[in-house]
Amino acid sequence: MDANTIIFGGISILSLAVFFYLGRFRASTKQRNREDRIDWSSRKFSLWKIFLYSLVAVGGIVLLTQFF
Amino acid sequence: MSNHKALNMFGRSGNPALKADTCSQSARGTSSSGGIQSMDSATMTLQGTVNKTGILLALVVLSATYTWNLFFEGGAGAVMPIAIGGAIVGFIFALITIFKKQWAGTTAPIYALAEGLFLGAISGIFEAQYPGIVIQAVGLTLGTLASLLFLYKTGIVKPTENFRLMITSATMGIALLYLVSMAMNMFGSGGIGFIHSNGLFGIGFSLFVVAIAALNLVLDFDFIEQGSEMGAPKYMEWFGAFSLMVTLIWLYLEMLRLLAKLRSR
Repeated sequence: MDANTIIFGGISILSLAVFFYLGRFRASTKQRNREDRIDWSSRKFSLWKIFLYSLVAVGGIVLLTQFF
Repeated sequence: MSNHKALNMFGRSGNPALKADTCSQSARGTSSSGGIQSMDSATMTLQGTVNKTGILLALVVLSATYTWNLFFEGGAGAVMPIAIGGAIVGFIFALITIFKKQWAGTTAPIYALAEGLFLGAISGIFEAQYPGIVIQAVGLTLGTLASLLFLYKTGIVKPTENFRLMITSATMGIALLYLVSMAMNMFGSGGIGFIHSNGLFGIGFSLFVVAIAALNLVLDFDFIEQGSEMGAPKYMEWFGAFSLMVTLIWLYLEMLRLLAKLRSR
C-alpha cells in the first residue's frame, strides 16, 4: 500500500467517522436562533430572478474567457 | 397541527413546507440544547437521515465496485453500456424522487445503485489514466463533507436567503454552461473549450465549480436540520439523504475532473 492510499484512505475514514458522529447532533444555537434563516417553505426569490442571475454568471464567465 | 394536516402541506409544496406552525409536531423529538436526537416516531430525525445517507453511500459503493472490476477485467468497451445505462436510469429516478418525494424510500436507493454503476466505470477510466486519482478524489470529497458539516453545525457558515439565491443561481449557471457545451459537442463544434482545458482558466473554472458544489452541501445540511426541527414526515429522511447524495456525487465528479486537469499538466 503506497503513501497516497494511506493518506487519502485515512482522510476518507476519518471524514466518514466525523460525518456519522456530528450528523446526529443539532446545530449550535448560534446557527438555529437567527432571524435570517432560510425559509424552506417558500421561495423568497422567484425562479425568474434565479434564472436571470444564472445568465449573468454564465455571461460573466464567457466574458472572462475573452480576456484570458 | 395534526400529523395529517402536516402531511398534506408537505405534499402540496414544491419544497418541503417547513412552516413555523409545524414546530409543535416536532417538539416531542427535538432536544432544545443541541443534544442527540433519539426520537422514534413518524417524523424526520437527524439520526434517521444520517443512517439513510449511510445506506445510500453503501449502495453507491456496492454497484460502483461491480463496474470498477468489470472495467479492469474487460476494458472500457465492456463497461460503457452499463455506465451509460446507469447514468440514464439514475437521472430518471432522480427526477421521480424530486417530483414524488413520498416515493423517496424506494426511488433514492435505486438512484444510488444506478449512479454507482456510472461512477464505478468513470472512476476506473480515470484510475487507468492517472493511477491513485480515485482515492484522492474520494478523500477530498469526504473531507469537504466533514469540514463543511463541522462549519455548519458550529454556526461558522450561516446560510441565508441571499446565500441560497447565490448558490442556486451559480448552480443553474453551471448547468446551463454544461448543457450548451453538450449541445455544441453534439453538433460537432467541439463544445466550450475552457471547461475541459487544463490551462489556468480551465483549472480556475473547475475550482469554482468544486466550490459551488461544496457550498450546495451547506444548503442540504440546513434543509435536513430544519426538516427535523419542524417535524417533517418520515419519508423526508430519504429525501434529505437523496439530496445529500446528489451533491456528493456531483462534488466527487468535479474533484475527479479537477485532479485530472492538474495531473495532465
